[in-house]
Amino acid sequence: MSASPSPSATAAAGQGVPALQAALDAEHAAVYGYGVAGAHLTGAKQKAAVRDWAAHEAARDTLAAMIIALGAQPVAAAAAYQLPFPVHSEPAAVTLAAFLEDRVAAAYLGLVALSAARLRMFGARALQSAALRATSWRGTALAFPGLEASAPGPVLAGQGTTRPTPGPSTPGPSAGGGGSPPPPTGPAGG
Amino acid sequence: MGRGATRRSVLAAAASLPLVAAGCGKGIGALGSPPRPSPDVAVVRGAIDGETFMIARYNAVLTAVPALAGSLRPLLQQHHEHLARLRARLIQPQGSSQPEHTPSAAATAAGPRAPGTPAAAQNYLRLAEQAAASTLLGKITTAPPSLAQLLASIAASEATHALLLAPTGRPG
Repeated sequence: MSASPSPSATAAAGQGVPALQAALDAEHAAVYGYGVAGAHLTGAKQKAAVRDWAAHEAARDTLAAMIIALGAQPVAAAAAYQLPFPVHSEPAAVTLAAFLEDRVAAAYLGLVALSAARLRMFGARALQSAALRATSWRGTALAFPGLEASAPGPVLAGQGTTRPTPGPSTPGPSAGGGGSPPPPTGPAGG
Repeated sequence: MGRGATRRSVLAAAASLPLVAAGCGKGIGALGSPPRPSPDVAVVRGAIDGETFMIARYNAVLTAVPALAGSLRPLLQQHHEHLARLRARLIQPQGSSQPEHTPSAAATAAGPRAPGTPAAAQNYLRLAEQAAASTLLGKITTAPPSLAQLLASIAASEATHALLLAPTGRPG
């Protein structure tokens, strides 16, 4: 009672729910995607994928708690996500990791447009973290992280119903967008 | 009807007067005190000064240590992109004789002196990038939404520059 924020501050934060949900959605996709990427990485790169995957899990939980605190229901993760391109090799896995970070960065940038100062700073810091991870994977910087998507392909779209089944992981291009993504047997497996 | 339209155009002309006054730069006293620039303009100008000085630092380093050109040129190019995007935020009044914001004295005076060894020069730029990123982050809570997003994005870009300028970079 005594520690409750002012009504106007609560209202301002409440307006941030859609942007927080968008960020949570991007984090769900990142958690899934790092599972796929990690399965194709070894050594130091796999360690980095595990670390970044854990960071996205923590961010996902933080966002869910923030959304609940604002009286809303956090969006659930899809059972599987359509990957933007086939991932059957280490270079493709690295490109996927950078792509995931670009998507997360763009989602957090949405928070920076809100009126609540606390959410703006939260979004700006999370954007920076995603940009740093993207640069670590890509080895290069972007001029406008979050503002411009550099990665090819469609958005990582949730598929909702089907879970990918383990299948042959023959290298090479899959049959366009219709192919099922590789199984998440990496750090996210389970 | 015609009378109303005339009245509207007079009002429009009156409303445009402060812009004209801000643009001509001379004889402002005859029109009274000039309009104060909005705080947003001050934020954009500050960011423009920051980018201008950052570009000067890179140029100084490239002169002192040409061997770093390969790694520094892409980062310098991104600072030029930051600067262009920020300058596009400043709407110049019509008839302004000054097409672009002139950097403040701090941004142009003498030019920075860069360290002469690759390691020291890289560290010099790394610290400058870190400082620039945190300065921009300090502005985002008060800026209007789209400007806040631009500043946050540029701050993130500069933080990644600092990462690339670090002696080892991140493993992975």
